[in-house]
Amino acid sequence: MDHSKPAFSEPLEFPKENRISVAFFAAGIIGIVLSLIGYVVNTEQFFYSYLTSFAFIASLMLGALFFVMIQHITRSSWSVVLRRIPETISMQLLWLGLLFVPILFGMEILYEWTRPERIATDALTQHKQPYLNIPFFVIRNIIYFSVWAFLGYRLYKNSVVMDQNGDPALDRRQRILSAPGILLAAFTMAFASFDWLMSMDSHWFSTMFGVYYFSMSFQAILAVILVVILYLFRQGLLTDIINRAHIHDMGALLFGFTVFYAYIAFSQFLLIYYANIPEETLWFYYRFEGNWIILAYLFLIGRFVIPFVLLLGRKPKTNYSLLMGISLWIIALQFLEMYWIVMPILHKGAISLHWLDLTLLLAFAGISAGLFFRQFARHSMVPIKDPLLAESLHKH
Amino acid sequence: MSKRGIPFGVLAEFENPADLMDAAAAVRRAGYRQFDTYSPFPIHGMDDAMGLKPSKLGWIVLIHGILGLIGGIALQVWSMDIAYPVHISGKPYLNFPAFVPVTFAIIILLSAFGVFMGMFFLNNLPRLHNPLFHSDRIAKATDDGFLLCIEATDPVFSEERTTLFLKEIGATFTETIPLEAPDKSPGTETGTVK
Repeated sequence: MDHSKPAFSEPLEFPKENRISVAFFAAGIIGIVLSLIGYVVNTEQFFYSYLTSFAFIASLMLGALFFVMIQHITRSSWSVVLRRIPETISMQLLWLGLLFVPILFGMEILYEWTRPERIATDALTQHKQPYLNIPFFVIRNIIYFSVWAFLGYRLYKNSVVMDQNGDPALDRRQRILSAPGILLAAFTMAFASFDWLMSMDSHWFSTMFGVYYFSMSFQAILAVILVVILYLFRQGLLTDIINRAHIHDMGALLFGFTVFYAYIAFSQFLLIYYANIPEETLWFYYRFEGNWIILAYLFLIGRFVIPFVLLLGRKPKTNYSLLMGISLWIIALQFLEMYWIVMPILHKGAISLHWLDLTLLLAFAGISAGLFFRQFARHSMVPIKDPLLAESLHKH
Repeated sequence: MSKRGIPFGVLAEFENPADLMDAAAAVRRAGYRQFDTYSPFPIHGMDDAMGLKPSKLGWIVLIHGILGLIGGIALQVWSMDIAYPVHISGKPYLNFPAFVPVTFAIIILLSAFGVFMGMFFLNNLPRLHNPLFHSDRIAKATDDGFLLCIEATDPVFSEERTTLFLKEIGATFTETIPLEAPDKSPGTETGTVK
């Protein structure tokens, strides 16, 4: 094994002539324009669809932030070659707060606890006023977004600065930042999920909800990283740098967090189902009512059983087309699960897919994917001076 | 016939891990299958060099897991719905969500048994004695020795030719290990010739 300075036979920069970011931006702008029309046509639907897509994109960026910090804390060498991908995704947290601003204008539509007539008549809402009130909600969200923006940007910045000077002190700083960072991110992400999603049913509460949101986002981000890597492979990029062993480990992680997701999602359901306390069961009641239950079964089968069985063996974890298929499927289900969490409040008893759901998804996904690829092309696709890179390249 | 006459195998020592890995690949290319390598630490890539197939342990565990799944559900369906149905807070007798934790635990239990006993089985354990320990050299495998032993059960094995072959591929030391313990102290009555 040769652990000397690695020499690369292929380009480390994302090719400038690849116009995928422009294509994504174009799709995003079409999405924005159509959504703005939708805003005038159906304001209520607009905000619900907006929150769905926002929670979807935010979950991916936060998942990426966790992924990067876990790699630094554990000082893992295997992931160094692919770390620039989640780093670039979590760096987008810098502007995620801006996307949250429109939600503040739709709070009365989205959150029943902000409606004056509700506060006046509902004792439980009054009881929750010290936490669920608009000023505190805004302050909390400012804290969340500043913590995430700081962590995401700092971790990315340190990494790209290290590309230039190879300063080993930066590697140490990444770990010092990640250790408290992961604690902060865990709390802020849990409370953000309470505020954005759980408080929509203001009577309902689940202490598991933060973990539930995390478990979904982490499974989904592993799928996103795999999709990006396999896309790069198809473009003939990094094929000598990221090898089968790295893909195998990503597949194993995806398998592991598929089980974790199922465990958390089912635990939340089982405790509420078994205790059978009306104010707790109501959330599931709306989400199982009518044909909404089809989605619940789809998550059980599609997000747990199918990936579990397909990824159980050793060979499928390095089968690139299978992994690509499963990953895209999981990302699609991640969006659908956000839809299932948000939308039954607006459309009780029956799924009714509105075109705004799709245009806002197009807007969010297009713009964030476009920004990702634009940023990805600015620096080397691997942290070339990371002290653990040589070890990572020799993984088998 | 002398008790030293039946060999267990030929042990060879190599200079360093890289030599051992090359030797393992050469031994495999020469057609030997019944051989093993011994080193103080795991050597990455040795499995490939020796041509070892992935372990079958996964399949053993899978079978145990499926048995646990079927057994766990059958146990609860039988006891909760057929043998002793009890009304619990208005829920149906066949209450599958509530069956999940128990089924899950039984799957884990049986899989753990499968891993543990399957590992013993595949490693030929428990084994109270291994003729390798008739050699004093083998102790170096826990310190600084990189050893390879071709066993006599291999169809290609021949004491002289195998020893010669191991020397050719760079062994710094070779030794034939007897199947039965040599007399260490003269005068003992153990190991009488049949």
